[in-house]
Amino acid sequence: MIRIRFFFVLIAALVQLACAEKAADEGDLLLVTTTSVRDSGLLGALLPVFEEQTGVRAQVIAVGSGAALRMGSDANADVLLTHAPEGEEKLVASGAAVSRSPIMENYFVIAGPPEDPAGVRSATSPADAMRRIAAASARFVSRGDDSGTHRREIALMKEAGLDPDARWPGFLSSGAGMGQSLQIAGEKRAYVLSDIGTFLAFQKRIELEALSQPGPSLRNVYSVLRVDPARLAPERAERAKQFEAFMLAAETQQMIAEFGRERFGRPLFRPLHLEPQPAP
Amino acid sequence: MSPPSIGLLIEITARTLAVCLPALVIALAIGLPIGIAIGGRRFKGRVPLVSLVNTGMGAPPVVVGLLVYFALERNGPFGELSWLYSPQAMILAQVVIALPLVVGITLAAVGALDEDWDLQVRTLGVPKRWRLWLLLREIRLGLLAAVITALGGILSEVGAVMAVGGNLEGETRVLTTAILMYTQMGELEIALGLAAILVGLMLVLAGLLTAVQQSGRS
Amino acid sequence: MREAAILSASGLRVELQSRSGSFVLTADALDLYPREALVILGPNGSGKSTLLRTLAGLERPAAGRVESAATGPVTMVFQHPAPFAGSVAHNLHIAFLGKKLSGAERRARVGEALERFKIAHLAEHRAATLSGGEMRRLALARAFALRPAVLLLDESFAGLDADGQSALSLDLRRAIFETGVAVAMVTHDLRRAMLLADRIAVLKDGRLAQIGRRDDVLERPNSLEIAQLVGMANLVEGVVSSERRGDFALVEVDAQHRVATRAACSPGNRVWIGIRPEHLKLDVGRGAVDLIGKGTVQGIVNDGVAVSVQIDWAGAELRTHLMAGRGLARTLEVGAEVSLSASPERVHLIPIRSD
Repeated sequence: MIRIRFFFVLIAALVQLACAEKAADEGDLLLVTTTSVRDSGLLGALLPVFEEQTGVRAQVIAVGSGAALRMGSDANADVLLTHAPEGEEKLVASGAAVSRSPIMENYFVIAGPPEDPAGVRSATSPADAMRRIAAASARFVSRGDDSGTHRREIALMKEAGLDPDARWPGFLSSGAGMGQSLQIAGEKRAYVLSDIGTFLAFQKRIELEALSQPGPSLRNVYSVLRVDPARLAPERAERAKQFEAFMLAAETQQMIAEFGRERFGRPLFRPLHLEPQPAP
Repeated sequence: MSPPSIGLLIEITARTLAVCLPALVIALAIGLPIGIAIGGRRFKGRVPLVSLVNTGMGAPPVVVGLLVYFALERNGPFGELSWLYSPQAMILAQVVIALPLVVGITLAAVGALDEDWDLQVRTLGVPKRWRLWLLLREIRLGLLAAVITALGGILSEVGAVMAVGGNLEGETRVLTTAILMYTQMGELEIALGLAAILVGLMLVLAGLLTAVQQSGRS
Repeated sequence: MREAAILSASGLRVELQSRSGSFVLTADALDLYPREALVILGPNGSGKSTLLRTLAGLERPAAGRVESAATGPVTMVFQHPAPFAGSVAHNLHIAFLGKKLSGAERRARVGEALERFKIAHLAEHRAATLSGGEMRRLALARAFALRPAVLLLDESFAGLDADGQSALSLDLRRAIFETGVAVAMVTHDLRRAMLLADRIAVLKDGRLAQIGRRDDVLERPNSLEIAQLVGMANLVEGVVSSERRGDFALVEVDAQHRVATRAACSPGNRVWIGIRPEHLKLDVGRGAVDLIGKGTVQGIVNDGVAVSVQIDWAGAELRTHLMAGRGLARTLEVGAEVSLSASPERVHLIPIRSD
């Protein structure tokens, strides 16, 4: 009789242990971000510092912006780091997110083969560049995955007076992340819209060049959004606040300003809350 | 994300068949003769060759995909073909995956024949071109097993076709890669719908082949 | 007089490479005649299958030739029956593939071959469901459907029980007589050889050691090894005596054990006396010339059909057979002293070579 009881207690203890392990693996804070942020490696540099300072271990899930925003509105995440301003503002307006704090920016770039068959180099604006690409029926790799980058593509096409569902021969939709899409563009010698960070990481390998001039329509703003605390466990909501504060802190912003310089010769992001620095 | 239209579903399904069936036919066309040749006779180096085939049968498809990718990329040995991220690359990868399967099962079927089978057929005076037909007839159940196994493997393959095809909409997107994509995007209902189509496809094809196999037994 | 040879091999030398090394087969002369069965007898590894395959044209000899005067096909049946998928009748039809024969002709031949081997009732059965014996009959019927001029059999009776072997041999012998086919069969089993053979060729260590009519080989083997192979179980050393017994020479084993023989020999020569078990008689009141001395019964084995008796005679072990249930077989006991006799016609001598 005692044997059986002991057996059950043992099972219960093991189950507890397994669950505890699982809980520990989940991390203290669920951060959902986009694939381009993950691929840039920025979080890999920042999160260890965050943990050191606050003791909070963040678990990162990277999906397309659309999916990230949806997870936010379903309260399946604690905090978001995305770059889709329109969708973000909608989320705040709906109350699913309680704050939106832009923390850094960079630019999208229209990259393409050095031969530049559509003449993007001489385009007058990013929208004009898209128009030229469509007019030349040049090869173009679209993200096709409702990501922040994909949404920007659509915005540019609209600005160029093109139907967002327009398809010309040469239009390719990868449904994949930025890295994969860049590789496909490199292989097919196609044009592609990319965030600067991922592009720099892949540039040498794919033998494409940045052909566009920076402009307001290519501006890419990254923001931290906190999910409505009422829908989260209190300790998680607290940690989300800590993360937001961390990302806005001067020290962190300085780290962001330097990130990428070593590897690419230039930083990948421009922080938005840095005290004015002397010109580099 | 709007759910895919019926037209798109049909297109993806049609492309799945357009990639998988030719790959199957090519793998059979190359693999059957090799399997028959190896299975039928003893020669030096047969054992290591069969070993190689068995290893190939167990090779992870995604590794095959990687190797084909290296071969086809722009700077690779066959970059000139520009086959990467096209249906041709997917067919190639699937042929490489299915080939050891076809060879392995065929040579096992031929090896199971009586020791003196070949000599007996020759001494009965059966002319050469009839001998091949006779052999195929003897091993037809084994052949069918090879076809079913290879087809199942090809239809369900996702890693290699993803790597070399790129899941490009309208170009290289097939059922398996589409399912993967929609799952990653969080569009689970769409993914499930596509999965249902894929399973349905496999049931129909497997059912047809099994019917042929069982009628052969009676 | 018999017809001319339908298949002739002369000066054959076949070289084989196998996993265990190389092997050489030599045969000076080997002929096959129509309406006749030649059994090639030899232990395993003596090159029997190689010889058969060379006769069939499947092996190329390094020297010598095989000449065929056959107007019909030369067919072979192997140790493994190798049935084809499908019915028994279908198996036979396979033999006609690619040959110019009308459907009616084919059906007639198939029916005839099946009848010949008594498996016509199995015509529509799936070949794979046949018993071992039935499959052997199928293999033979399949070969006969071709109306072969020469039929080569490689251990084609293996795996059959004694009854099955007898029955099949009878059917085969009748088929040989009715169709006139020339048959060569290879076996290591003496019993099978005796059931079928008109002529016997003995193969040992890759050499054709003796070839001749069945009784010649069985009764007069050329050497001790051949004698052992062909079942001449009673072999005893002796010396040719200067005495004679009537017309017959006398060979002495010891003072009490002397054997009369018709064979030619010179006094003083050392010889092997060879007597087949069936020619060794017990306690039968024959003429004095047959008597060879007394012996003691060592063992009796009765399988219901024949009684095998082992006798100690002059220090050697001799064997003979009695019919079960008759006469002496009923009363003989171990330890009994018996008087042995053998007709001088049946006593064979093999000279002992002085090395």
